[in-house]
Amino acid sequence: MKLTTKALAQCAMLTALALGLSWMESAFPLSALIPLPGVRLGLANVVTLFALYALGSPSAGLILLSRCALGAMFAGNMNALMFSLFGGAAALSCMTALSRSRRLSVYGVSIGGAAAHQCGQIAAAMLNLGNAAPLYYLPVLLFVSIFTGALTGLIAALFFRALDAARAFAW
Amino acid sequence: MKRFPRLEPTFWDGVVTVFVVLLALAALFGRGGGGASGSISAAVYADGEEIDRVELSSVETVEEREYSGEGYVLRVAFYPDGAQVLSADCPTQDCVRTGKVTRNGQSAVCLPARIVVRLEGGAVPDGAPDAVLG
Repeated sequence: MKLTTKALAQCAMLTALALGLSWMESAFPLSALIPLPGVRLGLANVVTLFALYALGSPSAGLILLSRCALGAMFAGNMNALMFSLFGGAAALSCMTALSRSRRLSVYGVSIGGAAAHQCGQIAAAMLNLGNAAPLYYLPVLLFVSIFTGALTGLIAALFFRALDAARAFAW
Repeated sequence: MKRFPRLEPTFWDGVVTVFVVLLALAALFGRGGGGASGSISAAVYADGEEIDRVELSSVETVEEREYSGEGYVLRVAFYPDGAQVLSADCPTQDCVRTGKVTRNGQSAVCLPARIVVRLEGGAVPDGAPDAVLG
């Protein structure tokens, strides 16, 4: 993967944006409403989704990796790294595959990514705990992912529309 | 911009959504629970190992116990009809917010402490025979 200075700057900017969104989201935890481990809005997924279309999957993967590593480092919780990496990698893989279909909009790609993220996090939780108990939460988390995925899809769609209208950046 | 995505929802987005719903339903019915026979017990796992098991039928009103893992302490209450993490000093508090678990297979998970409190049906109590023949 050849990374130009411009691409590196774009990746760094999007990583910072994803970290900011993650931090903002932690101030309003969805788990306060739905008391299940791993329930999150997944606002940082908007950045992954945007990077996937704007820069391609290798750059989106690089942003995801940086965001997960820096997020865990800043939070001082390296245990969280495994969860975000498993969830993020599953979501990115799923969204990369789904985004190849021209029949799907950002909504479908985002919902698929959110569902894959939950599956990845459940797998990480099972590995971490050495117990299949987290599987119990999978049905609810998958239902929740439809709404969180639709929401992140909507935000991404608004972002793409604004970008198309303003043409602020020469991506 | 490498590719510009479709921004209006399509029929195929609905297909993806239906697929996720079917996956959730499959996971819901696949996890079983609720119909187990025999006594229900609450098993406590720390780091993948079972560290305690409480037969709920032997609990009169409430029994409180403490468990620790990864530097965090959880106070768990066992009732005749379920179990609940009353308090924990973990940062996420998801285990406390889970509330009382009452159904077979249901669990309260504390990821930071790596502790699971899980209701299991039909478990053999400690010291009970594995099988009765004749």
